[in-house]
Amino acid sequence: MISCESFRNRFVAETDDAAVLEHLRACDRCLDFAAGIDPDVMFRALGGGELLPPGGVDAFVDGVMQQVRVRSAESTVAAANVLSWPRRLAVAATLAAGISGTMIFYGGRVPAAVATRGAATTPVAIARGVHPVPVEKFATKPVVETYESQNATIVEVPTSETGGNDDVKIVMIFDENLPADL
Amino acid sequence: MSAELRLMIPTTPTVEPDDRQLVETIRGGDADAFETLVRRKTSKVYALCYRIIGNAEDAKDISQLVFLKLWENLEKYDAQYAFDTWLYRMVTNVAIDFMRNKQSRDNAVNSNLRLVKTAAEEEQTVIVQRKEVENVFNEISNVLSPKQKTIFVMNQMEDLPSAEIAKILGCRESTVRNHLFNARKLMQQQLQRRYPEYAQLWRER
Repeated sequence: MISCESFRNRFVAETDDAAVLEHLRACDRCLDFAAGIDPDVMFRALGGGELLPPGGVDAFVDGVMQQVRVRSAESTVAAANVLSWPRRLAVAATLAAGISGTMIFYGGRVPAAVATRGAATTPVAIARGVHPVPVEKFATKPVVETYESQNATIVEVPTSETGGNDDVKIVMIFDENLPADL
Repeated sequence: MSAELRLMIPTTPTVEPDDRQLVETIRGGDADAFETLVRRKTSKVYALCYRIIGNAEDAKDISQLVFLKLWENLEKYDAQYAFDTWLYRMVTNVAIDFMRNKQSRDNAVNSNLRLVKTAAEEEQTVIVQRKEVENVFNEISNVLSPKQKTIFVMNQMEDLPSAEIAKILGCRESTVRNHLFNARKLMQQQLQRRYPEYAQLWRER
């Protein structure tokens, strides 16, 4: 930094001399002298650059970095919650496949319960031709390989009535001792 | 022998990365580089905020907000421009917004705060004291608009030329000069009204 004597020799109004301004911002005696020549330097003497935040630089930087980490974590979580386009397509495809599968399973028929409810509550459904469908039972019976009984009457249905398939034989058994579930 | 060897090994000077290099490193995902950048710019950012806002705690909060915005918008920085210009633009935008909000709040509460000085004080010899100048500046610069104050601070205290200020604020240089002229005029008027002992210096000029 230049000396006070050098400053007083070099100082002129509206100066932009960096060395002069540096001295002006450091020396109180020369500030008073300079303000007498150029009052505008009064506020220039305040300068910038060298001020530190309350609590010091370390505490300030720590505070900033802490907030940066919080913001980063928030943005990461937010990004994870937002579905990307491929993911959205995958979800849509899964839903579409599920709906299609359900329709194929029911074969385009309306379930009886739905049809009945619709008929009871909305007359419009009847007008559009929604008819109740008899409930089908898909319970299976055990296959009887052999059956022996002295009291039974066994009637064998001819194979021509079953469509000519020899593997399938329909047999009617009339017996008082027959198990109830057969 | 070991001493001789040590003398022969060339010492590699540690070169600090410049601002642009640091930004590139941060963009690569290095948070430590951002900490280095914050540490490097804290003093400048805080000083500018403090001069514009005039309150240490508010200036600290606004400076932290500036660095958060910097972190969030670093991708937008174009390396062909000076980093400080871009940073100062961010500082001035945030500080001016804060000042505008503060001014409207203050106006709603009390707009007639005046400094009253006793006759005894007025008769004292005028010795320009740095701390006093700072108080005077904080007191009378409230008459300036946020933009005028920002331009005044950048020109008078940060020594930035009007062309550079125009770049930072995204306006014409003539606009900056006009704001600067009006700011100085208003400051002189306020000084004369509130601190006649200092205003005498202007009158004597």
